[in-house]
This record gives sequence, C-alpha cells and structure tokens, in this order.
Amino acid sequence: MNTKGKEPQAGRSKPRKAHTISRRQFIKSSAFLGAAALAAAEAPWALGQVKALAAGAGQAEGQDYDLAKATNVIYGACLQCNTQCTMKGKLLDGVLVKVDGNPYSPQNMLPPIKYSTSLDEAARVDGKLCPKGQSTIQTLYDPYRLRKVLKRAGPRGSNRWKVIGFDQAISEITNGGKLFVDAGEDRAVSGMKDVLAVRDAALLKELSGDAAKVAKKEMTPEAFRAKHQDHLDLLIDPEHPDFGPKNNQFVFLAGRIEPGRSDFSKRFVIGGAGSVNWFEHTTICEQSHHVAYKWTTAQYDKGAWSPGPNHMKPDYINSSFVIFWGTGAFEANFGPTPMAEHVTRALVERGLKIAVVDPRLSKTAAKADIWVPVKPGDGDLALALGMIRWIIDHGRYDQKYLENANKAAATADGENTWTNSAWLVKVDKNGHSGALLRAGEVGLGLPGKDAKDLFVVSRGGSLLAVDPNDTKAAVEGDLAVDTVVGGITVKSAFQVLRDEAFAKDMAAYATLAGVDAGLIERLANEFTSYGRKAAIDFYRGAVQHTNGYYTAQAIIALNLLIGNVDWKGGLSTGGGAWAAMGGKSNQPFDLGKHPGKLPAFGLKLTREGSAYEKSSIFQGYPAPRQWYPFTTDVYQEVIPAAGAGYPYPIKVLWLHKGTPALACPGGTEQIKILTDPSKVPLFIATDIVIAETSMYADYIFPDLSFAERWGFLGSPPSTVVKTTKVRQPMAPAIPEMVKVAGEEMPISMESAMLALADRLRLSGLGKDAFGPASDLLRPEDFYLKAVANIAAGDKDGDAVPAAGDRELEILRQARRSMQKGVFDEARWRKAVGDANWANTAYVLNRGGRFEDASKAYAGELLGHPFGKLLNLYVEPVATARDAVTGDFYSGVGKYEPVKNANGKPVADKDFPFALITFKEIFGGQSRTPGNYWAQNALLPENFVLMNAKDAANLGVADGDMVVLKSRTNPNGIMDLGQGGKEPVKGRVKITEGIRPGVVAASWHYGHWAYGARDVVVDGKVVKGDRRRGTGLCPNPVMLLDEHMKTVSLTDPIGGSASFYDTRVKVEKAGA
Amino acid sequence: MTALREARGGAGAVGTEAVGAASGNGVTSRRDLLRKAGVALAAVAVAEILETSEALSVVHAEALPGGSSAGAKPAVSVPAAPLASPGSEWRSNVLRMQDELAAALKKPLAERRWGMVIDRRKCVGCMSCTVACKAENGLPPGVVYRPVIEEEMGTYPAVGRRFTPRPCMQCENPPCVPVCPVHATYRQPDGVVVIDYEQCIGCRYCITACPYGARGFDFGEYYTTRTPEVQPYELSPSHEYGKKWVRKGERSPVGNARKCQFCLHRLNAGMLPACVTTCIGGATYFGDLKLAGSLVSEMIGQESASRLRDELGTRPAVYYLG
Repeated sequence: MNTKGKEPQAGRSKPRKAHTISRRQFIKSSAFLGAAALAAAEAPWALGQVKALAAGAGQAEGQDYDLAKATNVIYGACLQCNTQCTMKGKLLDGVLVKVDGNPYSPQNMLPPIKYSTSLDEAARVDGKLCPKGQSTIQTLYDPYRLRKVLKRAGPRGSNRWKVIGFDQAISEITNGGKLFVDAGEDRAVSGMKDVLAVRDAALLKELSGDAAKVAKKEMTPEAFRAKHQDHLDLLIDPEHPDFGPKNNQFVFLAGRIEPGRSDFSKRFVIGGAGSVNWFEHTTICEQSHHVAYKWTTAQYDKGAWSPGPNHMKPDYINSSFVIFWGTGAFEANFGPTPMAEHVTRALVERGLKIAVVDPRLSKTAAKADIWVPVKPGDGDLALALGMIRWIIDHGRYDQKYLENANKAAATADGENTWTNSAWLVKVDKNGHSGALLRAGEVGLGLPGKDAKDLFVVSRGGSLLAVDPNDTKAAVEGDLAVDTVVGGITVKSAFQVLRDEAFAKDMAAYATLAGVDAGLIERLANEFTSYGRKAAIDFYRGAVQHTNGYYTAQAIIALNLLIGNVDWKGGLSTGGGAWAAMGGKSNQPFDLGKHPGKLPAFGLKLTREGSAYEKSSIFQGYPAPRQWYPFTTDVYQEVIPAAGAGYPYPIKVLWLHKGTPALACPGGTEQIKILTDPSKVPLFIATDIVIAETSMYADYIFPDLSFAERWGFLGSPPSTVVKTTKVRQPMAPAIPEMVKVAGEEMPISMESAMLALADRLRLSGLGKDAFGPASDLLRPEDFYLKAVANIAAGDKDGDAVPAAGDRELEILRQARRSMQKGVFDEARWRKAVGDANWANTAYVLNRGGRFEDASKAYAGELLGHPFGKLLNLYVEPVATARDAVTGDFYSGVGKYEPVKNANGKPVADKDFPFALITFKEIFGGQSRTPGNYWAQNALLPENFVLMNAKDAANLGVADGDMVVLKSRTNPNGIMDLGQGGKEPVKGRVKITEGIRPGVVAASWHYGHWAYGARDVVVDGKVVKGDRRRGTGLCPNPVMLLDEHMKTVSLTDPIGGSASFYDTRVKVEKAGA
Repeated sequence: MTALREARGGAGAVGTEAVGAASGNGVTSRRDLLRKAGVALAAVAVAEILETSEALSVVHAEALPGGSSAGAKPAVSVPAAPLASPGSEWRSNVLRMQDELAAALKKPLAERRWGMVIDRRKCVGCMSCTVACKAENGLPPGVVYRPVIEEEMGTYPAVGRRFTPRPCMQCENPPCVPVCPVHATYRQPDGVVVIDYEQCIGCRYCITACPYGARGFDFGEYYTTRTPEVQPYELSPSHEYGKKWVRKGERSPVGNARKCQFCLHRLNAGMLPACVTTCIGGATYFGDLKLAGSLVSEMIGQESASRLRDELGTRPAVYYLG
C-alpha cells in the first residue's frame, strides 16, 4: 500500500474527546527548555489564546477572514532549503498560523503582482510554496525548541544538561577555567580571552606581512622570529608563522548559514576575533558544481584570474530541451517553488522536452521524455565525456561561436559571450597540458598591452595575440591545433578537450556509464538540435563524487559547445540583486566599514585556498592530508583536521546551525573527535534544538528560527529578474529575552556574538562599530541598514517609493504582538535614521525588492546577461598539483575513476550495491523531523529503495528490515559515543523506478537527536518523540578516505564530499 | 491489491515497447507510457487510497490523452495566455482565476457552480496542497482533505509515476448526504457539500458512504500531543465556513466528520482555495463552471477531461486532465 498522502489513523473504534491538556500544563512541561514561566511579554500568543478559551469560545463570532488582512501579514524568507523562497506569514493573535508564497516575488508567482500593488490588495493574493515552506510553522513552533542556554552536566553526548543564565555562559566562555567540574572533569579550559591572543590590528598586520614574506622566501624564519621575538607567544607555532596567530584556534563552523548572517558572523569571527577559520557547509551540498562554474566564469586581469559567478540555470520556460543531470525541477535543486511551474507550463503548453540523468526515477524523471538511469560513481563523468566525443566527432558544436577568441569577435557575430576554446595551451614533455601560452613567449604583442597578459591563437597557420576584452580588433582562432611553436608544444584548448574526450571510445563510455551507446548518442543529438534553446541543469547528483569537479567541467563544456549562455531558453547567470551591504555612493550605509578590523591571516584549518608547496610544512608528496587550493569551506574536513591537529590543533569550536556528525558522509566518525577534550577543548553551539551534533557540545545557545530572524539575499539564477529578498521576524521570538549591553533581545547567534564582543572588547560590534556614532548594538543595527541600502537602490534615482501613512500603520499593526526586544518602532527608525525609514518600510512591507517581470528578456537575450569570457579551459587548475599524489590536475574534464586521496581507485567489488541518496520535496536534510504536517505525515518513515529484481535475488520483500554495510563501516553501525551504538537499518521498499544494483535512501530520516530521544535537563527526563527518529540515515556507512581515515572521500579540486561513490552490502535484519 | 497487480502487468505490457533508457534506442517517450497506462491505472489509485479492491473506472476514459497513440505531443491549448512576444510575460493563472472568482461572487449563490480542474500532467507530486490544506483548515492527525495519490507503473526501465490529488469531489449527487441521520451535511446551491458542525453528531455514516474516501473524523488529536508542549498553532482558530473554530476539548469540530469545502471561507473573501494558490506546478485550477469564459469552464469544455467514478452518478465538480 502506498502510504503517501495518508496518515496512520488514530484508533477508529470510537470517537474520543479526551484531550484536555491545559495551557498551564503546557507551560509547566516546557520548563526543561528554559521557560520556567512564560511571561505574557514573552509569549503574547498565550494571552490571546487564553482569553479566547476563557470566553468559552470554541467557535468565535465573525465572518471576517483574518488572514486576508494586511495588518496580519509579514513577509519573510524561508530556509527549509537553500532556495530560501520569499514567503508571506499570516498571524492570528500573535501566532504565526499560516505561511504562503509572497505574491510580489518571482519565486512565488509566474509572473508576480506589480511591486507597486497595495498591501491590502496583496494580502488577498497568495503565492505558491512547497510543502516544506508550508510547514514553516512547525519549525518555528517545534516543541523541542530551546529557550535558554544549556550547559552539559555529564560527559559530552550524555544528553544530561543544566539550564544556565546567558550572562554566566558568556562569562565562562570568555574566561575559561575549570568549567566542567560538575561533569567530573578537572581540566582547565582556555577561554576566548586567551585564545584570541591578538587584538591589535596594527600588530597583526605586521605579523601577517612578515609571515607572507617568509612564505615567499623573502624573509627567513629566523629573521621573522628575531624581529617578532616579543610576540612569538601570540602565534600558533613560531616555527610556522604561516599558521597565523592563536586566534585561528577559534573555529566557527556553520551549517547552512545564509547571506546576511554570513556577513554578520564574518564580522565577528574574522574582523572582530581575528580568526581565518570561518566555515560553512556547501561541500556537503554541491560545491564542486560551484567551483567549476566560478573558474569557467573567471576573468583575467593583470596576470591573475578572478573567479566569477558560481551558478547558472536554464531559462526553462523558453527552452526546447533541458537535461536535468543529477537533479530535477520538482524535488530539491534550487528550487522547486520557483522552478516547477516554469517547467510544467513549458512541458504542457510549449512543447519542452526534458531528459533526466538519475539512477532513480525521480518525480522529474517521471515527466521526462528520456530517463537515463546512469551508473553511480564515475557514470556521470563517462556519460558527459561520451556526449562531448559524439558532438565533436559529428561536428555538432557551434564552431563559429567557439572560434571567437575575444569580445570584438563575439560582437561581430552578434554573440554575447566568447570562450578560450581557440587559445593555445602549452604541453609539457610528459604530455600534460598546463599554462596558456602568452603572447610574449612567441614574440607577439599588442600596442599598449603587456605581452605577459595576452594570449595566443592560431589562425590559418599564423599566430595572433589575444586581448580577451578587446572591443575593436576581432580575433578568431582555429579549434583544432596541435603543433610546436618556437620550440613549445601547444594545443588549442578545444583540442585538449577533444583529446581527453577521445581517450575512450563510445563503447567504453557506455560501459562506464551503464547505458547503451545509442542512448548517449540520442542525448547528444537531441541536445544539439535546438540551437541555443537547450541547456543542461546539473547539481548535487552529478558532482558529489571524487571526480565531481571534472564532471561539472565536462557538463559545463557541453553547454559551451552549443554557446547557450545568455540566450533566452539557454543558460542564465540570474537576474542579480541590489547591493544590500551598501558601499555605493547613493546608499546610506556601508556595512563593510569596520574600524579596528583585525587583518586575520594564516592557513585555514582545512588547507583550503592555499597551495601545499607554498606552505612552511611542505615536505614533498604525499602530504599527510589533502590540500584544497581551488575551493572553500571544506565542511567535512574541519573536525577531522582538528582531530589530526593538521596543520595545527584548535582550542574553541563554535558550531552554528550545523550537524556534521549527521550530515557528512561517514560523519559519525567525527563524534570520536568531538568527544575528545584534547582535540576540541571547548565546544559551543548555537542551535534551535538539541540536534545530532550540538548534543555533543559543552554549551548550547538557543537560536532563532528562520521565521524569527533577519537576513538579506539574492535569488538563485533560475530567477532571471533582479531580486533581493529580506528575511525578517514574522513571529514573536521563542528564545528567552536577555540584555546585551543594555539592549533587550532574544538569545540568538547574533546576541551571543554581540555579548562576547562586548565582553572581549572586540571591534566591529557594539558602540561606534561602523564608525563614530554608528553603532551595532543589536541585530537591527546591521540588518535594517541593509534593508535601507536595498531601498535606496544601486544608483541615484533607483530608490523605492516611501511608505505612506497606511503602509506605516500596517507595518506597525502587523507587529503588534511582537516583544519589544523584537519590534520597537522607535528603535528601528533609529537604526536607519528618519530620512530612510519610509523607504525601508516599503521594502520590509513587501519582503524584499523585485524587478518587474518585463525586464526578464531583451529580445532573444536574457535581460541580465553575463556578457564575458567563458573558460573551456581552466588554467589555474591545470597548473596545480595534487598535494597527496603530486600529480597535475587537468584544465578540462577528464575521465577518472572514483578514488581515494592517494589516487587509489575505489573498487569494493565485494559490495554489490551502489548507494545513493535523494530528497523528498517535503523534507530537508537535517531539520525537518518536527514538521508534523509534512515530513512526518506524508512519509512517516523512509525506505531503502531497491529494484524488484535485486529484491528477488536477495530474497527480501517490501517492508523487510535490512542493514547496510560498507568497507569502512563493515558492521553497519552508527557509533554515537555516549549515545550508544545502533545499526544502519531501514525498511525495504521495492520499486521498478531504480536502476538494478543501486539502492537509494531519502535523506531526512534516521535522527538520533532533534527531539527523537530522551534528554535530561536539570535532573528531569524530557521524553523524546519517536516519530522524529524513524527510518534510516545512510550517511554513516559512506566511505571514509583511505589516506585521511577520519573524513569521507572528497573531490580534491571542488572539495565536494562524496555521497554517491559508496558500495554496500544489504543484509536482512530482524524487525 | 489484485487490481493493482493486474494494472501493473498491463502497464508493463505497454512498457515492453521500451523507452530509451538502458534498453536501447526505443522511440516511445516516457510521457507516452504515462498516457497509455493512465486509463488502466487511474482507477487503481483511488482503490488504493480507499483500501478497497472494488474495481473503479474512469468515465470519459476514451477521451483521455492516453487514448491516443504515441508520437507527437497532444496539441494542448490550456487557455492561459501564451507568451506573446519576446520580452513579454506569462499571464498569471492565479490572477486570472481570482478575477473570475470576483465576477462569480457577484452572481446569486444558486447561479454559481464551483468546480476544480486538476491537470495531472502538471502535478509534480509535491503534496504542498496536502500540507497547505492542513494548515489552512486546522486539520488534526488522520484527517487529510486533499491527499495526493502516487502510482508507479511499468517495469524497469520503462517505468512511470503519476500523481493524483484527491480533494472532495463536491458531487452533484453526493452519497454522503442522504445517509446523515441529522441532516448535518448538505449540498449548497453553489455545489459545495458542507457540514454543519453544530448539527453533526459524529456518527460517521457519511465517512463510510463516500466512494472517494474524502471524509475524515476529528478525534481531537493534536500533532504535538505527546511532546513537551502542545503548540500554539494547534490551538489557534481555523476559519472554516467563515467562522472561527478552536479545536479544544469536545468543541466542534472535534468529534465531527470533516471534509474539503473548497475553502469556502477563502472564496467568500475573494481568494482561491489554498490548494490552488500553493500549487507549485500550477496544476490545479478553480472557478465557476457556469461562468462563461472562465478558465475552468474552458478547460472542461476544450480538454479531454475526466471525472473519478462518474459511473456512480455522483457527478463530481472536480475534473482531471492527463
């Protein structure tokens, strides 16, 4: 039986009317989370409710539909997934009771209402929203929300806690000492005051400058030590000044931290606390895709490449053929709410054809003309290279477009972008294609240009110098070049790609991809049959492999081969956003201003953004752990690096809204490190609940949910008009109100940072934080200023209208139930100044700023085109070596099997199934088990999906319990430390919609915390809710890297954690 | 379940024509498979949700797109304004329907016939309608006004999935009405079948009588009953029938039968039902079937529309495309 859309029925025997839990009981029972008493001011919803009930009004009078009134509406932004859709919150008696899409926003309506529409009118139009967004209320009103600060009262992970005051927590973290005597630990902990050893910006700058000189060998380490002998104790290791100051031993690790909050927290961590170690989570999402795009869009200027936009999406609605590769339009991606209708209307009304590359028949694949159930692992890469081979072999690429070597040539052809396909690449004696040839190397040049910064093409046997951005002299080059010039062996970039693609024949690619060669041809043929009205959308599924970057680059190359960027129906870099951080001459606030900002420096804990060879710990190959020069935020490696003390040990870990133990492949391995005080001496967390990783922390600060807090951000490129979204409190705050330097506010990440900055006297937060008389005393001082910038626009004359009296009244009325620590009109006005208030209110009242839908296109081009060079060949990558193997990377996508950091391929032939994950649209990765309407009701438990043939061979039936085991988790066990040991076990669901030999599990279940289990607070047991712990999380059996041991397999270039390269055994278990 | 297996077998036979997956160069598109299998399986879906093996069928089946052969896509003309010229925009169906709603509300009640059209080709199975409805109508565990039924058909690699949202059909001849011993449920002149919570005694005959399984019973449960604190959203009033209902103790609607009423409280405020506005695929249409030129009237007139179990003579006001 299909359980979707159906819920377990409560007993059907007889009607029961026995639910008489009183408000007083609720309040009492919530005390463990810190709400010793819910004062009316803290919970205004309680007041209205109690009054209504006291009046005996089960059915109140009145025909008015309260939720259609503008005075009950506040527009915010979602964060159930990273699409972060705009949303419309509706309040009743101070309770957020309903959330819908924001009708002003292109993310929620196709097309949206005019931006000038009155608030009263807009209140009667609801936009669309996915089921996760619809369940926002249950993330906000999660019965397991934290309200007060918790400190552990037992060993890490024991889930024994005590409630402590906010100020006490701030003092203990600041000062350190013997903090855990009550938990039986005699050790002294370094407080932040000691860890943040350097607070003097001038001194830090001097240390930083000289450390850079040491790295460049312009200064000897001895000279450095002599010069700074009085300050050597401020460094992590005086032998290695490039590690930076001790401040770097403070590590901030965030999960899905969002724009706005990223800016705020970087201000604290980097500029205030002076640590380089600020991280977020994207490598467990789809980072290699971003990394490949940002080097594809990198521009060359004065000897250096600067990465560009990291994301493109098809303009689905005008496209004729779209391939969804390892992603779809209807389940996850970026994201279903803005994308789905573009695709469904194009499918039904416009004749769009789609293909889906996915081993599982996703909901998008269900609507596809072509389903390609590719083999997981290296199948995606083989398929992409096979398509490239066929397209080149059959001359189906856009030769004229690719021959354009500079802007002038593109313009002459009516093109908007151009590529480096014809540029010449130098090939070394081992056949490695490395740096691009510079004009100066072959005696060429252009007037007024440095020949070192010019490139070279070959045209009809002559060499020509290329200035990529020259608008006057068009340069075109031949695509097939493989020759020797001036003693240098060269190939055109296109030829390099061709040679990599032709390294295998179609049959070999078909075998590796696990599909017929005919299907590869069919895909390639279709893709090249619609001019620019075709595109490949790819995401997580294609790139969370050890070869993820190469796969991404190969797929991008396919798009470049048809020249679809910037064209209607082709690929879009998005509509862009207004600059919220300010800095433009017409904008009122420059939020980048930070007097006394510490110039943080040093190697990051994850060795990202740095070259091993240039470090002071270069000792030849292999490096003990991988280095990641081309990526950022290698999330899965932060805690393992701390565990290994490579390159240095850490002192304080602040985990914010992250759950690496649950969310990283093989993440449970990190629990061993997190529970070892010698590896992680002090561990603090900000979280809305006690979650799978924050449960191991020493302190947990309650945080605000996305429905209660601030933020500002642009849209993913699936939105082709200019958009800046504003997140703002849509409901009274749940966490306790505290005073920070005299200002009342709910506990949150921001208030914890403000309080620590105040205590430690850090720059950037507090009085005069932006400059004289420009304070950052509370969150609104930062976020509302950003809204004022958005309202002012990007240039003179770009300001939004001022809110009139009615609009200002609506703003006030809609927030009438907010605590004063959340909404205080006078304080809000003060944050932006009277002159900016009415314009700011106009933007707040609409949840952001949205360009008119008519600006989406300009003729056959997109309205906001990219208009620059696109790199088929990525020079910086081609000239770097892998820190473990010492091998050069490739400038184009090339075939590579799934491998460990040491280069050893992963075979695991004894493990018969490939394991993949996917997302149901009603679930997020880690934060939706309390969404009782959505994840809980729609699919109470997830499954191990298996093809019927495999099930028959294994002798398992629908509903049988099975355990998953892998080479690096041979017993299929989650070792949760104090949380016990449990098998990685789930129920089989048999389907025809999956490739035989593959098992899949959706990725939202298997929770061991987040309200799923009992915890003890102040000696009292708080019962967990079993509904929240059902199903399985497949991550604990995912492969660990053979060379690094404590971290998952990882793409060395893109940094992506491997989610789809593990092979498992599936063994029948007891129920 | 027998019916399900047979239907799967049937779809499998269709699937042997092979789609272009690993099996090679098949030319039948996956969407064709869905079209073909659709006729046989539409009935099974409903059987499944009802947990009954009773065979169901779909009238107008001959008119389903599945009745046509493979190949060219049907020349669909959903009467939404198409993209006119470069730079122009798509017209919002939501705004069009909301305008039509306003026009319909000006007519006398008896001259309106509220109806819904669900285009399964556009339904992406997200179940946002299910959740939005829960929130809008304050539904407890076990009561689902608008489930989305999911079917899988065919054999790997020729496999299809289809999604069928199933609201109350708002039948012209509703089997749930005559069985009510206290006349608490009746059909309004505008076609919406309603329940008078004050009159309903909770006997649940109507729940049994509905051939679509569209009614549930409110046992008074909260989603957060067995957690540290019942949450405020569960104690906030809902607006069904234009009144405020707080589910508390034994007060209505606790102890009552409950069903989809097309969000009458929203209609009367000039707003579309919650399932319509939140539909991310733009698959659900709503309006006055009697209003000339309305989107829904055009769709059921121009399209090969079908209704579920129309052979029972229930005459639903909910139509399906695809």
